[in-house]
Amino acid sequence: MSLTEGILCSKSHEYLLEKGGKYIIGLTDYAIEQLGDIVFLELPDIGAEFVKGEVFATIESVKAASEIYMPISGKIVEINEAVVDNPEILNESPYEKGWLVKVESETAHIDSIDLLEYEDYKEEIA
Amino acid sequence: MTKKTFLHDEQVKLGARMIEFAGWMMPVSYSSIIDEHKTVRENVGLFDVSHMGEVYVYGNDSLAFLNKLVPQEISKLIASKAVYCQLLNKQGGIIDDLIIYKIEDEKYLLIVNASRIDEDLNWMVRNSLGFDVKIDNQSHNYSLLALQGPRALDLMDKMGVKKENQPEFFSIKRAEIFNINLFVSRTGYTGEDGFEILVKNEFSELLWNYIIETGKEFNLKPIGLGARDTLRLEAALHLYGNDMDEVTTPIEAGLAWSVAKNKTADYNGKEVIKKQLENGGEKKLVALKMLERAIPRHEYEIFYNNKKVGIITSGGVSPVLNENIALGYVNNIKEICLGSIVQVKIREKLYKAEIVKKPFVQKKNKETQK
Repeated sequence: MSLTEGILCSKSHEYLLEKGGKYIIGLTDYAIEQLGDIVFLELPDIGAEFVKGEVFATIESVKAASEIYMPISGKIVEINEAVVDNPEILNESPYEKGWLVKVESETAHIDSIDLLEYEDYKEEIA
Repeated sequence: MTKKTFLHDEQVKLGARMIEFAGWMMPVSYSSIIDEHKTVRENVGLFDVSHMGEVYVYGNDSLAFLNKLVPQEISKLIASKAVYCQLLNKQGGIIDDLIIYKIEDEKYLLIVNASRIDEDLNWMVRNSLGFDVKIDNQSHNYSLLALQGPRALDLMDKMGVKKENQPEFFSIKRAEIFNINLFVSRTGYTGEDGFEILVKNEFSELLWNYIIETGKEFNLKPIGLGARDTLRLEAALHLYGNDMDEVTTPIEAGLAWSVAKNKTADYNGKEVIKKQLENGGEKKLVALKMLERAIPRHEYEIFYNNKKVGIITSGGVSPVLNENIALGYVNNIKEICLGSIVQVKIREKLYKAEIVKKPFVQKKNKETQK
């Protein structure tokens, strides 16, 4: 199975993957490649709630700091502590090991309407 | 219209990611900024810095003319030597920082920042009235390559410029590499030993490819502007536009070491500089090391006892120290000194930082900077 199978992507380069009723959020391989060496991540607290489009995290490469936006509305139920300690994991594995947060969402099916399947996303950014 | 250096296509072939910088398409990185940074600290890296400006000053009054423009003592400069200078306005503010090379009597080469070529030329022309000088902008005819790192000397030797013939620190020599006539100077912007190579545009591609090829056994890699920035920050070397501008004097910028203390000749900004040599300026440049996990960046605010006292002008990660470092300006008050704890405002939160000595990473070249 391809790593990008079933994921949905936003035009601001976040990806969303539904797994067991929760939604995994991360950054696409394209976004990571553009950013270069990732050196710092600031993730939200568990329990924090965000609406679609809101900034929920910050990522810093050697060059600059960038904001990460919620692709859907929801509540943070899990964060990836490993990437906070070792941000370079994102460069190595943006999909498998380099996910950022898991959320619970009541409105994901509506919120994800404007998200793109990976192939369409690649075409959009090309 | 964005300009391209003569090495643009070669860099793209090597996988460079190109960005616009100071009106030029330049490589920001070839692989990873951190990897390129470490290559320069451990082996040797090759940079294309052809965007930088080259201006010759000739004529009977060239020495007197240059002495009016900068607070350094140009009359002490002997042929083949170079000096780090600042071009000052009447208020002592820095129009640009540059290196002046004395090629021979009445012939000097000025290497200036790409973003400042027009301002520099305008200012020089305005100041040239009454001087018998010719200001000759040759920026469009020359490419500039930098070869930096501990193995640069061995590589240069291998390329035919034998160690005994290599220029000393802050000197320039005519040389020949791969049958190409060029200038080699022992200068750079990384804190490492190494060279800058000035070559006519028509030979730059040939030279670039020869260095890439010959450099393989020295683990040479091409290096982009991303690593150039992290390297110079570790060495606490200033970036014009960030750490210096027209409302900042060399004294405020922590460059008093470079200024002649008893220069007799008159120069632009002399009154201000003389006063500031005694008492300091309005603000002072400090080096910061973060004590908490957060990255300081350009334009973040600096606080002391919860009051805003300054601003970060350059900041980021140090790949060698694995710490977060910055240069910034604070109000010139004596309470803020080496060892002081200040705070940096990052995304609305305050994080502790310590004022530390410059440079962050000890320089490997022979510069004697206090």
